[in-house]
Order: sequence, then C-alpha cells, then structure tokens
Amino acid sequence: MTFDLVEVGHVAVILAFMLSLVGIVAPLLGLKSRNGAWIVLGRQAVTLIFLLLAIAMGTLIYSYLARDFSVKYIAATSNSKLPLFYTVAALWGGHEGSLLLWVFILSAFCTTAVWLHWRTQPATIPYLILVESALMFGFLALIIFLSNPFERMIPAAPDGKDLNPLLQDPAMVMHPPMLYMGYVGFSIPFAFAMASLFSGRLGEEWLKVTQRWTIFAWLALTTGILMGGYWAYYELGWGGYWGWDPVENASFMPWLVGTAFLHSAMVQEKRKMFKVWNLFLIIMTFSLSLIGTFLVRSGVLTSVHSFATDPGRGVYILLFLATVMSVAFGTLIARSPKLRSPIQLDSIVSRESVFLFNNLFFLVAMFTVFLGTLYPLIIETLRNDKVTVGPPYYNAVFMPIALGLVFLMGIGPSIAWRKASLENLRKNFLIPLFVGLGFLAVAAIAGIRSPLALGGLAVVGFVASTITFDFGRLTAFWAARQRVNLAAGFLTAFAKNQRRWAGLVTHFGVLILIIGIISSTIYQTEKVVSMQVGDQLQLGPYTLLFKEIRSVTGSNWTAQEGVVEVTRGDRFVTELRPQKRIYDVSMTPTTEAAIHTINMGQLFVTMPEVTPAGATIRALINPLVLWVWGGGAIMGIGVLLNLFRPKRDGT
Amino acid sequence: MSDPVGNPVNTPPNNLMPDNARFQLRGWHLALVAALVALFLLFYKGLWGDPSAIPTVLIGTTAPTFVGPDVVNGSTIDLAQYRGKVVLLNFWASWCQECRIEHENLLALYGQFRSNPDFVMMGVNYQDKLDDARHYLEVYGSPFQHVRDFKGTISIDYGVYGVPETFIIDKQGVIRHKQIGPIVGPTYTLLTDKVLPTLLQGAAAPNAS
Repeated sequence: MTFDLVEVGHVAVILAFMLSLVGIVAPLLGLKSRNGAWIVLGRQAVTLIFLLLAIAMGTLIYSYLARDFSVKYIAATSNSKLPLFYTVAALWGGHEGSLLLWVFILSAFCTTAVWLHWRTQPATIPYLILVESALMFGFLALIIFLSNPFERMIPAAPDGKDLNPLLQDPAMVMHPPMLYMGYVGFSIPFAFAMASLFSGRLGEEWLKVTQRWTIFAWLALTTGILMGGYWAYYELGWGGYWGWDPVENASFMPWLVGTAFLHSAMVQEKRKMFKVWNLFLIIMTFSLSLIGTFLVRSGVLTSVHSFATDPGRGVYILLFLATVMSVAFGTLIARSPKLRSPIQLDSIVSRESVFLFNNLFFLVAMFTVFLGTLYPLIIETLRNDKVTVGPPYYNAVFMPIALGLVFLMGIGPSIAWRKASLENLRKNFLIPLFVGLGFLAVAAIAGIRSPLALGGLAVVGFVASTITFDFGRLTAFWAARQRVNLAAGFLTAFAKNQRRWAGLVTHFGVLILIIGIISSTIYQTEKVVSMQVGDQLQLGPYTLLFKEIRSVTGSNWTAQEGVVEVTRGDRFVTELRPQKRIYDVSMTPTTEAAIHTINMGQLFVTMPEVTPAGATIRALINPLVLWVWGGGAIMGIGVLLNLFRPKRDGT
Repeated sequence: MSDPVGNPVNTPPNNLMPDNARFQLRGWHLALVAALVALFLLFYKGLWGDPSAIPTVLIGTTAPTFVGPDVVNGSTIDLAQYRGKVVLLNFWASWCQECRIEHENLLALYGQFRSNPDFVMMGVNYQDKLDDARHYLEVYGSPFQHVRDFKGTISIDYGVYGVPETFIIDKQGVIRHKQIGPIVGPTYTLLTDKVLPTLLQGAAAPNAS
C-alpha cells in the first residue's frame, strides 16, 4: 500500500483544529458587526469540524482493521491476534484515542445543537458556536501537539503490544463512549448557560431549551457509570461493582452535581427561583467533567485505571481547565447582581425548600467524594506523605447522605409548592411514615442489625409508599375526570402527565437500586479457600465441589479453568468455570469470574491463583445483586419516557 | 422569530431586576475564587509527583547492603557480592495475596533475563515463618535466590511499607527504580522494556571489582 489512509485522518484533525479557530472568531465578528453571515460561517465551521473528525475516526478505525502497526497508538493498543470486535474498541483503549473520541462526540453534539436550535434560539446560537468551538480548540490542540493518535513510527512495529486484557470485554466497549456522551452532553446546557450569561438574557429560556439535553446527558452518564460498575463486577473479579476508585469517583462527581442541577432546574422553571444556583450547578457539573478528564488523563492520582503519567500533558489540561472554569465562574460572579431572584422562599415547609435541601445534599455528597478522592493528593502536597482513602470512609460519610437524599426523594414530588399546610403533610406523609416505621420494625424483628440496612429499609419503605400514593392520586384523578376505570386512568395519567409519571418511575428505579446495593454489600458472604481437586467448600446453603482443573485456549489467550460443581442438598444447581487467563502478547494474567444467578442474587466464583496441587477459590454470594442493574434499567426507562415525551408548552 | 441571518432579535427584558443593579463583592464570590485558586494550585503541585511511586529518598542513593541466610538452604547471601550487576530485589511474603498475583510475572521476567550474566534477581522474604516461606517457594517455584529478612532489618533499611515492593539496583550499586505493589500489566512491561534493558546496557562502575 503506497497511500496511507491514516494520514488523511491526520490532516483532517489538523484542518478541524484550524476550523475551530474560525468557530471562535466568526461568531465574535458576527456579534460585533451584527452581520448574520458571520454566524452562518460559524455554523459551517462546526459542521465541517464534525465531518472532518468523522473522517479522522473512520480512517483510524480502518487502520486498526488493516492492522497498520506503523501508527504508534495502534501498535500500543492492539495486536494482530486481537479479535475484530475489540480491535475497533481499542480506539478508546488508550489516552490519545479517548481524547479523539471525546472531541468527536463534542463536535457531533455541537453540530446537532446548532442545527436543531438555529431557528428557535437565534440570539443564543453565536455564543453556542463560540463556547463549543473554544472547547474543541482546546481539545484538538491537546490531540495534535501532545497526544496525537496519528503519530507514526519508522520502521513499523512488527506487531502491536495488545490492548490491555482487562479492557477486552463487551461492557468496556460501550463504557467509555457512554461516559463521554454524558460528560460532553453537559457541555450543551453549559454552553447555553454561558450564552445566557454573556448575552445578559438571564431568564429561564436556556433551561427550557436545554432540558432534554440535560436529561440525555444524565442518562448517558448514568448508563456509563453503571456499565463501568458491571465491568468491575465481573471482569476485575472484585465481586463488587464499586470500589471508590479515583477514576470511578471522577465520573460520579459530575453525576451528583448534574443530578442536583436536573432537579433544581425545575424550581427555576416553575417558580423563577435559584437562578444563580442553577448557573452555578451547570458550570460545576461541566467543570467536574473536565476535572474528571484531568484526573484520569494526567496521572495525578493512582487508580486501577492505570494511565501514563505525563506532566507536560497534565500542565496543558490543567491550564485549559483553569481557563474554562475561571471564565465561567468569573462571568457568573460579574453577572450575579442581575441574577438575584425577586422571589423569596415562602416557607421552610415547601417543595422549594425540599429542592434546596436536595441541592445541598447532592453538593455535600459530591464534596465528600471530592475530599476522599483528593485527600491523598492534599496530604502528599502538605506533608509529603502517602495515604489512601478507602471504602470505610465513603461508607461512613457518603452512605448517610445518600439515605437522606432518598428520603427527600419521597417528600419532594408530593409536598406542596410555596407553603405546605399541615393538612397537606398529613394527607401525603402520615401513612408512608408508618409504612417506613413498619419496614423498620419488620427488619429489626427479622434480625437485621446493621444501622445502614435498617435506615435504608425504613427510608425505602417510606419512599415506596409515597410513590405508590402519587401514582394512586394521579390514576384516581384521571379516572374520575375521564370517567374510566382505574387501569385506564393509570394509562391516561401517563398520557396526560408523562413528565411526572416518568419521574416517579425513575425514582422507583432508585429504590430498587438502593435495595440491591444494601443487600449485596451488607449481606455478602465470602470465602477464600485453598482447594485441591476433589475438595468441597460449603458456602451458605451451597456445596461447591472442585471437580477438575484443565487448560483451555482462546483466540488470544490460554487459561487454567477450574470446574466447580455447585449443589444444594442433593440437588444439582450448576457447574461454574472460573478461569485464570494469560493473554499471549502482553503476558498479563487476568481472573475471569464464573457467575450463576439464583433468585436475583448471584453466586460468584473466581480462581485468583493456580497451584500445582489445586487452586485458591474465592466464592461469594451476592444477594439481590441483580436489583442493582434492574434498578438502573428502570431508572433508564423512566428517563427515556421523560426524554421522548411529546412536546407541550410550558413543561 | 427570525434566524441569526435575519434582523437582530428584539430581546424582551428577561430579568426582573433593574438593569442598573451595581456589582457588589459578596462573601460567596471570594469563597469561590479562593476555592478555585486552591484547587488549581493543588492540581499543579500534584502533577509533579508520581502517585504510585512513594517519593523515597532512597532513589539515587547507594543501596543499603545486607547479609542474610538463604531461605531454602540457609547459606549466607551478601548483597555486596553482586556489585557490578543489575539487581532486582523483590520483597515478598507467603501470606501476601498480591505477591502471588505477581509471582508468575516474576518467573516470566526471570526467564527473560536469566541468560544475561549482568542480571541478578533476588527475593527478600519479609516478616514470614520459615516453613511457610519454604512451602510457598516449593509450591510456586523459585529458580532464583531468596534471602530471609528474619529481623526485618533489610526491610527497614529499604523503607518497605508493605509487600510486594520491588527495587532495582544498577551496576554502581545505586537504587534506580522502585515499584510498590505487584508487577503486573504496564508495570511489568515498564520493567522489561525500559528499566532493565537500560540499566543492563549501562557500563559497570570502575570500582566494580
């Protein structure tokens, strides 16, 4: 092959970089001269950037498939033996490609937003183009000058070093794009917020326009985080899905503030309050997305996600981050006198104040995660000492806050706006309160002693009944109004009040998720035993018989596979086959878990090590762990119903 | 509504506050600015540390010498006898789970470099029972020497926080690399591709004999 397609991609990225400058300058000139042609130019620029980056992605994927190991990045992240499926996903298996994916998604969203809102938001479009182009400029400069995935080497590597085996996994294929869609998705409401600040159109319009963008970004981020958890669960072989690892935290922090924003925005929509607050929250959300990128990509913190340490790159990302945050928060401060809402909080017992508490709780939750994540760095800076912050800190500090949030979730949707009367409170919350206490009593009698589990169940009982009540009221109202039976009323309620209906579904999903988390963390049974072939292990009601150990070969790995027969009493349950794999090229060992689902819980077996005489077997029972993913799925359905509801005025 | 090409759009005064609201510095403004500055400074400082390497004062200094019994046969091992060679010191213990994780990689690494006469690999058995340590080596295999640190003095000299930890000493007897935690994945390739080849190519010190 004489003509290298990958160079086309390289040129495309450089052109996109230059066009991002046009995207910055054109809207500025347009605003100054009040000449719409400049804005059109800006639009063409961002559209072209998107097309060029699509070409860049395409050529890189093509080169992966062609196994062109003269491209440094491809040689570092793939191998001729790597299965096709992962060969494409290897594009975001390293630093350089991840950044390209990041900015590609950014350009796609930016172009979509510009065309979508072109007619309805003429005053905002120039700022949107400006802000998004500036972000693309920053990332494209980083790609071209400091982490170029198109860099070549002569001579070409005979073969690639292979993708990190831990990343050779289906969940990992989708996890980074989902996360990035979440991070980058928040850039659209962020850009609209900045447009509102720059232009001085400080009303509620930006919130209404970007509501669906926010929900979409939130959905993508939530899905990404859950996928990451699922990956950690079965691929890392922890048997747990969340380890409070700095990189997990980096994705969790924007989620927490983004969730606060999602709720707080409703207050401004309905009551024109919390103006500064909402701008602050969206700037914070997007900043945390950037901080997340910084933490992951600069090597400031250690984590299971081992990325290369490179201070030069880190300094650049930090500068970029500092610029974005300073401009954003600086403008917010400068505009703050105009943002004071003339409307005051009427009563502390009102939906507004519940939302305020919701925001505070989310921010405090974010801050605890933030502190835990950065504490090692702070200590290192101040005392030149090393510490780590582990799950005990988070369980002690974060969990109570999370329960508080779930509790508020029960109150918020049902309490009255402005000022709730005693009657309103009694009608909505007296029975749920008793249901919650009932859950507490039953749990205590059943022998549950963990305060977290007891508190969790009480709160879940309370919130579940407020949600049921809420659905009941909606159903009864529409059944009476349309004179239909309750089943039809339930559906009418959905058709007439989809936003509320969908919101309740999401909240319901959260409850399921919480039960899954409580059950699978507090009531986990674990045993680690060194076994020889023929040995038995009793785990709860199950007997695990270690039948044999054998060698198996995959397309790019070989493994020792244990065969474990699981019985309960005399009944055969399943045969589990955990593996200890060695990947051919990198010679890295990985542990493949074998999982069997029973009653929404899972039996989880790994084989951390193989000895000549046998193996070490780690076996866990994770009760109700499927509720974690099930709850996540229900939340997702709720959010999708919210996203695809018919457009109506006002809401 | 018109699009951006058309006439400038008339913006209704959207905010209810009077337009002449003057800027006043408030507490939260200062707090926000202070928080941002602190954050950026912290990040900036954080960039210059390698988070996984404990900033040991030992790197670049002469490796503390030691004399101790061989775990398997009790014969005396003296680090000084390997001056002039690149020595990989791996601190381990039989009770350490992470050591088992890296064990296969240690064997692979040894296999790769054993033919090089300038390469020495040595285990340091850390806070362990002799029988357990011997059993561990029998079970998992050990083609290289292991010195028993039964008083813990070697570990103290090397500032070992916990096992596994790995030190690489160059031909001049200077500690050049330290790895905390198991040698797997990228840390493994870092050693095999960069650290060891570079040091093995380096010239022996003139006073090596």
